[in-house]
Amino acid sequence: MSGTWYIFRREVIQYLTSPLAYTVAFAILVITGFLFVGDLTTALTTRPVNAAVVPSFLAFGMVVFAPILTMRLLAEESREGTLELLLTAPISDTQIVLGKFLGAWFYYTIVLMITFSYQIILLTITRPDLGHAISAYLGIWLYGGATLAVGMIFSALSENQIVAAFLTFATLLLLWFAEYAAQIVGTVELAQIIRQLTLGGHFSSSFGVGIVRLEDIVYYAGIMVVALFIAIRMVESQRWR
Amino acid sequence: MHYEAEHTGSFTDMIEIEKLTKRYGQHVAVDHISFKAKQGEIVGLLGPNGAGKTTTMRMLTTFMPPSEGTAKVAGFDIQQDSFEVRKRVGYLPERIPIYPDMTVWGYIAFWAQLRGVKNMKQVDAILDRVQLLDRRKTLLRNLSKGMRQRLGLAQALVHDPPVVILDEPTIGIDPQQVIEVRDAVRQLGEKHTVLFSTHILSEAEQVCDRVVIINRGRIVAQGTPATLRAQLQPGAHLFVQISGTSAETILKLLRGIPGVSDVQPNGNGFSVRSGAKQDVRAEISGRVASAGYALLEMRPVAMTLEDIFLDIVGREATP
Repeated sequence: MSGTWYIFRREVIQYLTSPLAYTVAFAILVITGFLFVGDLTTALTTRPVNAAVVPSFLAFGMVVFAPILTMRLLAEESREGTLELLLTAPISDTQIVLGKFLGAWFYYTIVLMITFSYQIILLTITRPDLGHAISAYLGIWLYGGATLAVGMIFSALSENQIVAAFLTFATLLLLWFAEYAAQIVGTVELAQIIRQLTLGGHFSSSFGVGIVRLEDIVYYAGIMVVALFIAIRMVESQRWR
Repeated sequence: MHYEAEHTGSFTDMIEIEKLTKRYGQHVAVDHISFKAKQGEIVGLLGPNGAGKTTTMRMLTTFMPPSEGTAKVAGFDIQQDSFEVRKRVGYLPERIPIYPDMTVWGYIAFWAQLRGVKNMKQVDAILDRVQLLDRRKTLLRNLSKGMRQRLGLAQALVHDPPVVILDEPTIGIDPQQVIEVRDAVRQLGEKHTVLFSTHILSEAEQVCDRVVIINRGRIVAQGTPATLRAQLQPGAHLFVQISGTSAETILKLLRGIPGVSDVQPNGNGFSVRSGAKQDVRAEISGRVASAGYALLEMRPVAMTLEDIFLDIVGREATP
């Protein structure tokens, strides 16, 4: 376990000293800030505030941000040759992948926590639906973890960070867009199945509206487990190349 | 050393390789090689580029599994006890792996912790040893090539491993630094077993206790530089310079001496080869003197490792 911890710690320090990670945080905070203010202005006259304004944006936002946050993780290691040292250190391939994934997820969590400050601002001026907000944040936290895990696969697959980012983006876009594809499918059963498979299908109509369902938690956890399993196998395959 | 105490059986071979083979599809990169390295021994793995040196080292460091054969490092099998092997091996790959955004101290501390070092004073100690302590806060991206090489060495030694594997540690650095690295490797031999690869022959001769020559994935010769020379030098080799007559006459005279197997003009003198056990020097000087010529110079030519190497590799190349 200590191996995972050292890898995790190195990754977190890496994020906290990386200009790119700050750029992502900056983009997320600026965009969600504007959305929050916009929502608040509308809410003043017509309706209650939308507690899920930030998470709903991130449901698409992570399709773009997850590739940027994960592209470096394993691609850089194999490019710089440090992966060879990691693979000959007394730690398992699982510990390497897990440490890196947890580092990325932790960084995402920090940024997500910062946006939670909007809820605290709301508390000072109105009585927001905190239950709805917490549900949406929990959902988008798991959703983000799943997108980062998918990013790990492609970072392990390619030495080239741009290629890794692009493949992650394409995959996530497909998983996100399929929710809309489901809306134009004629057969209801087929539409249901497609929706069950998409990232958004387990967020927008459950966590996003304040409902916490076990099946959605299991879905995101399942994506993480499967994606990390593939990433571990990818790292392992370096030994056979 | 404390590593030995962990074993009940006594062993002196820190590296034991037994018919180790690595195949990539049809291509055989390493072909049934076997050799051993004793504790405190510096063994040079010598061969041209693509001979299989790096592949051999990668199997020993457990980076990749062998297709066939076994190897033990510090008494542990590279496949069955790979974690035990990894704890006991310090490895410097050919291309120094760095994290450009880490500091010197952070980088060494990271590898130390991953390999189970608890006492962080060891980090300072090793940085001091490779003369990088005053650079402890420098980012790795700002280090010169020579410093990176020393950093790589520090990384390989920070957990005080009994076996150190260095893949071409003197490649691409300036001559002064090459000398420093060679000195460092020689000093390692006092405490560690060192396996180091090179394609520079004089380097192997200077640094190693024993040399394993590898070509096309196979061991073609092994032994101390001196025994290799003795084994492979088929006979005596002399350089003689004679004046007083034409080159043709001298050639004829030298070739007429019993025991001389070959005479070739060499610069302003001649290369004379003879059978292994025959000393033809007295005969040469006698005959030259009685013919009335002057013997200006006669000296034995020692075959360098380079000659042996080129000889062997050359023979391999022409089947």
